Amino acid sequence: MTTTVLQTVKLTKHYGSLAAVKDLSLEVYEGEIFGFLGPNGAGKTTSINMMCGLLKPDTGQVLVHSKPVGSSDASTRARVGMCPQNIVLWERLTCLEQLQFIGEMYGLRGSEARKRGERLLEELDLAEKRNKQARTLSGGMQRRLNLAMALVHEPEILILDEPEAGLDPQSRVKVREYIRSQARKRTVILTTHNMDEADRVVDRLAIIDHGELLVLDTPESLKQRVGPGDVVEILLAEQEGMESAVQQAVHVIQAITSEVSYDIPSRKLRLHALHVVAHLPAILEALHQNGLTAGEINVRANTLEDVFIQLTGRSLRE
Amino acid sequence: MRPVWDSIRRFLGVFRKTVREMWRDWLVLSLSIAFAPLFVWAYYLFTLGGSTTYNILVLNLDQGVVSAQGERLELSEGAIQAMLGVTYANGQPMLKVVHLDDQEQALQKLRDRAAAAFVTLPADFSQVILAMQGGDRSQSIQITYGGDLTNPYYTTAYILALSGLETYIQQVTGQLPLIQYNEQSLGGSAARTEFEFYVPGVLVFAIIMLVFMASMAAAHEVEAGTLRRLRLTPMKSFELLGGMSVALILVGVAAELLALVTAIALGFRSQGPFWVAVLIGVITSLSVVGVGLIVACFSRTVTQAFLIANFPLGLFMFFSGAIFPIPKVTLFTVAGHTFGLADILPPTHGVAALNKVFTLGAGFSEVTFELAVLTILSVVYFVVGAWLFQRQQMSMHS
Repeated sequence: MTTTVLQTVKLTKHYGSLAAVKDLSLEVYEGEIFGFLGPNGAGKTTSINMMCGLLKPDTGQVLVHSKPVGSSDASTRARVGMCPQNIVLWERLTCLEQLQFIGEMYGLRGSEARKRGERLLEELDLAEKRNKQARTLSGGMQRRLNLAMALVHEPEILILDEPEAGLDPQSRVKVREYIRSQARKRTVILTTHNMDEADRVVDRLAIIDHGELLVLDTPESLKQRVGPGDVVEILLAEQEGMESAVQQAVHVIQAITSEVSYDIPSRKLRLHALHVVAHLPAILEALHQNGLTAGEINVRANTLEDVFIQLTGRSLRE
Repeated sequence: MRPVWDSIRRFLGVFRKTVREMWRDWLVLSLSIAFAPLFVWAYYLFTLGGSTTYNILVLNLDQGVVSAQGERLELSEGAIQAMLGVTYANGQPMLKVVHLDDQEQALQKLRDRAAAAFVTLPADFSQVILAMQGGDRSQSIQITYGGDLTNPYYTTAYILALSGLETYIQQVTGQLPLIQYNEQSLGGSAARTEFEFYVPGVLVFAIIMLVFMASMAAAHEVEAGTLRRLRLTPMKSFELLGGMSVALILVGVAAELLALVTAIALGFRSQGPFWVAVLIGVITSLSVVGVGLIVACFSRTVTQAFLIANFPLGLFMFFSGAIFPIPKVTLFTVAGHTFGLADILPPTHGVAALNKVFTLGAGFSEVTFELAVLTILSVVYFVVGAWLFQRQQMSMHS
């Protein structure tokens, strides 16, 4: 049986006339890794800022174990640990001093906060830097310390805003493994615009765009929505009268698969079908007959990017 | 009891963190502490360790006189020596006489503020004095004096000069003054040099500078984003600001003590107990830190805090009496104590109390009024600062 630890009810936030988040209602279950996927400016950070009690929603509410997260309710807020996207550290405190200090602010005894700090530094490969001031650490180390700061009070819910942003590959693997290890101990909510990160790490994923929740499901289920099979992307050589030629070619290709789309400015033809490789000669022939020349051909399995494109008609990176 | 202990733990945690951060930012810390002693030292150099010597211009037109014995007398020289004989209690001359040949030259020097006043000794100076010595009471000496009346030194300079002249004339003519004035100095004020007179103001000025440190330290937490992290914790604004304030007050007291030691090394003497002066410094620091926190409530960056802090700094400097004496406009009276606008500025009471201790030899019981007002103002400013900070910076943002 799944237990809801965090719930948002019709959460809405405007900045002037811009609706950053619109009627966001969702539930996060105990022990899962819950992801928010969306392009920059989609409303991910605004949503999690409201979830951890930093930002007041215009309407709606956030409930942690059915209790509203409000500024006056410190104990409910303390059940949440937040790792912001930006590195937020006291640059002249050492790694251990930072952790001890923030632990004390959460009401831990100094010795307990210190013990937990030591353990977190060990787990995040920062033990050797325990007595170094934060300003002397590398960017990757600072990001790991930033993560440790959210954990020292052992929150039930850990919220991570773009946890892999700005990390070198080595640190990225380390952080990803660490997030996975946390899922057994607590609920993790993370935001990302990295499809690979979302696909590999999260249990359930909410895709949001322009402040609206588009879809919420497991990554596998979401990819299934696009349909089984593979995706082929063909980059066409530039030529005059391209649009009508592409339209005629697409008409022919639709006999193979109905899921064909094209984008003239980027000269990209995109198809989705089962056993698409077997159909490639026929597809290329259709292009050739309409005077089109295929340049780069890319064949791959479904990704969350395809889900996003299907939902919004545009790429996450656009 | 647990919430109380948690609160104390957080307060102490913030205090330790602030001390560590300040200690490691040694350049800012040393400049903050060294500012006041350097200011004392600079003031000592400007006053040459004593008091101001006023430049007085003397246009001596005296043509002298030949006595009955055939001796040529120039009595104006004695008058000038009498002016030079006007001294402070420690023997330092109050006047420096500059001889001039014409009035135009004198006016130019006065315009340039190279002198505070001029005195013209008339052509018949010696002749009239000689007549007076002979018992002739029908004549008088016409002394012309003047200067730039907006020059704050002018009044003191001409009074001292005329006082010297009058004393000389009385001596040489044997005439008794119509009125005999007897000056009685309060406490140890007679023996105070100008350097000593300004030390209390300089000490308070050192504490006033805390308004920058307090506002910038709190604004730094906002700008660096660390306050957002703290807002997620159960920490309250008074725990954060209390811990920071105690650390800042230590800096203020250290600066005050160092300035006091410097002043003593340069010849400053306190008439009253030092511990009372230190206590005044501590309470004044608390109130100034409270004002700094109010500034931080309206600042999102350290630069903003620095700019806004100039406003209370200006008020403290110019209207508290720390640097310049100010006229008091009475608004109301309570238990025999008058209150004016300047009384809402904590340094006003800090300067008044320190003056009483250092110059008049007052003890604790004689400055209880100032200490009480300072304490009330400190509590008010600190509570307002903490409340505003909680509201502006620590509440859930809309």
